[in-house]
Amino acid sequence: MAEKQIKIVVSGPYAAGKTQFINTVSEIQTVQTEAKTTKTGEKEKKSHTTVAMDFGKIRIDDEHVLYLFGTPGQSRFDFMWDILGKGMVGLIVLVDSTDPSTFHEARRIINFFEARYPSPFVVGCNKQDLEGAWDPEDIRTALDLDEDVKVIPLVALNKDSVKNVLLELLEEIAHHI
Amino acid sequence: MALAGNLEVFNFVDIFQVLKKDKKDGILVVESSNDEQKFGVYFKEGDIVYIRPVKKVFYIYLDIDFSSVLKKEGISEDDLYQYLVSRLPVLLAVKKGKFSFTPGFIKYDENIKPQVEIEKLIMYLSRQLSEAEVERKISDMKLIYTKTDDWEDVAKRAYLTNIERKILSAINGKKTVEDIKNELEVNELVLKRALYGMLASGIIKRAKKEKKLGFNLTKGLLKKIVNIVKGL
Repeated sequence: MAEKQIKIVVSGPYAAGKTQFINTVSEIQTVQTEAKTTKTGEKEKKSHTTVAMDFGKIRIDDEHVLYLFGTPGQSRFDFMWDILGKGMVGLIVLVDSTDPSTFHEARRIINFFEARYPSPFVVGCNKQDLEGAWDPEDIRTALDLDEDVKVIPLVALNKDSVKNVLLELLEEIAHHI
Repeated sequence: MALAGNLEVFNFVDIFQVLKKDKKDGILVVESSNDEQKFGVYFKEGDIVYIRPVKKVFYIYLDIDFSSVLKKEGISEDDLYQYLVSRLPVLLAVKKGKFSFTPGFIKYDENIKPQVEIEKLIMYLSRQLSEAEVERKISDMKLIYTKTDDWEDVAKRAYLTNIERKILSAINGKKTVEDIKNELEVNELVLKRALYGMLASGIIKRAKKEKKLGFNLTKGLLKKIVNIVKGL
């Protein structure tokens, strides 16, 4: 029987924690397409970055597999958004709660997907365990999000925290079946 | 929780939007990047009541009662508006530097009232935003906005210009930014500045779009997924 893929896209600005998020719950070692970071300002944050996408998977049954696709964080790889947006059942947008300079990019990502692939989505406010993290409610306002959008605190290194964000998205998806 | 950042990437419109939303009381500290200017901006219920230039930031935190701030500064409540208006341009001219907001902290007497509507300031500042700045919020011509529940009250406080009023009247939850641009034959930057300001001041909001799933998901299958995720 051919495997049926159910796709959830994990997006967000550079260094928001997308690859970590997928790694934390994927049953396989995340398949990554990374390259060395070369741009000034990015090198200081991490040495490697996702250039095409990375993905993890969770088997549901003999027929279905849930795929978590992570988008590249750098804007020069935006063309991947279109490819990944097609056919997704839901979107998780991650933000680095400690870095408000990336909130505009997060908003741009939400604007893009909302305008073209309006699937259910939630926002995960990552790095909530770090000093200087913005409150999720303030992030909601900064991203121009309505009260009915779920803006959830997250620590992507913590499995329960990642599961919580995934479950919140699945609950959101349930409203649209 | 922190509310701090860099003015180059998070401008005053963005800051005021966040402080206005929850009608926050507290002090916004602004420090210019050349270290020459430091301000304590006093907020009461999301509106500005006073701007205090200081030589060192810690001076701001020596007073927990607003009446003692006024006493130290040697001004009366009646002078607040005059001082605020004269210091606002100096504050708003700071484009490079850092900010941080300390919620609560300062205690106000009941008779201290907001001096300038924050919505008016947001619109004023939005009219000066650069192309790159407006792109941060209005990043897509396909975006659709709708009026908020209390848009009439907020718009009154914002003192909209004629063109902004026209733009507002065209917003109906169906037209895209592109539709409005074509309909009103308005300059794109003017349109985006107006939308930026109206979004930040709470006159308009993102319109809800009908959500679509890219896979024929059944309730049974979704339940299975939920159980698998719970068991991870």
